[in-house]
Amino acid sequence: MNDSRLETFLAGIYVDPGARAKFLANPRGEATRAGLTAQQVEDVIKIDRDGLQLLADSLERKRHGRK
Amino acid sequence: MRDRFGLGWRAKLALGILSNLDRIDIVEVIADDYFRAPHRERRALRTLGAQTPVTLHGVSLGMASSVLVETKRLDEMARLCDEVSPVSWSEHLAFVRGGGIEIGHLAAPPRSAATVDGAIANLRRARKIVGVAPQVENVATLIDPPGSDRDEATWVSEIILHSDSDLLLDLHNLHANSINFNFDPVDYITRIPPERIGAIHLAGGKWIGRPDARRLLDDHLHDVPDPVYQLLEKVGACATRPLTVILERDGNFPPIEWLLEQLDRARRAVARGRTRRSAVAA
Repeated sequence: MNDSRLETFLAGIYVDPGARAKFLANPRGEATRAGLTAQQVEDVIKIDRDGLQLLADSLERKRHGRK
Repeated sequence: MRDRFGLGWRAKLALGILSNLDRIDIVEVIADDYFRAPHRERRALRTLGAQTPVTLHGVSLGMASSVLVETKRLDEMARLCDEVSPVSWSEHLAFVRGGGIEIGHLAAPPRSAATVDGAIANLRRARKIVGVAPQVENVATLIDPPGSDRDEATWVSEIILHSDSDLLLDLHNLHANSINFNFDPVDYITRIPPERIGAIHLAGGKWIGRPDARRLLDDHLHDVPDPVYQLLEKVGACATRPLTVILERDGNFPPIEWLLEQLDRARRAVARGRTRRSAVAA
């Protein structure tokens, strides 16, 4: 169950600019609020922020184009 | 041993492909384009399949997830496979949705026991519903997935060793990930069971991001770079089964002759690898 929560959380910050902004402003708080385990919280707060933004931008372009 | 070399089917390449079937052994078709396609388009796909071997490639099942793939999605793939009789079908080791959120593309999941188990369960269901196990493709990623507790070669190997699915090894995805996350792609290849490598994807990409934090993006819009051919030769030397090698190009299309030359270069790379393998065995 917690593993699906992690995937849901990642999907949210990858594609939803609002969710991403909230997370970047308060990583631990947002991850905890999402119901992630303590270890998952520690993992996501160490996320590569440059990579996250590049990924989000890339996904946005692909959603408006195609594979 | 007969390796096969082909192109990804794209509408703008159709004429070029159909005009050069003597130089193309197989065509890879994006399955999702046909799940809800009109009857005439599916008939056209069957006609294509009567002219040349076809392999179907899925992009939206989301096999590498701790969540089960919905049966209706697997049913769509099963119906298309029944209609087209492809020589094989494939999907990505990616997650594409979570909690009702559609990512809209392929995302690398956390590399963990949960996604190994989830992928194995999904691949077993896929085999049961479709009738044939899919080949599974490693994906490119711009971010090291949070929640990962093992490296990519370990994660991929665990999935293929505990399922019936062979690996569709995308060498540009591997090349890009090895640069973005600083690992040795040759070491990755040597850690994959060689008898489980069944197919190869080739593509190109471009650099993105700030100079101090740049990443190599797999965009399928550029030519295959030299290091990918070198990796292909390495795979040719270690893979024990015939390979299906597909060149993917999604846009910024060059003349078909230019793509066929890249395909010929791929043939030469695999041939060199096969020769090395034969020399070692002799």
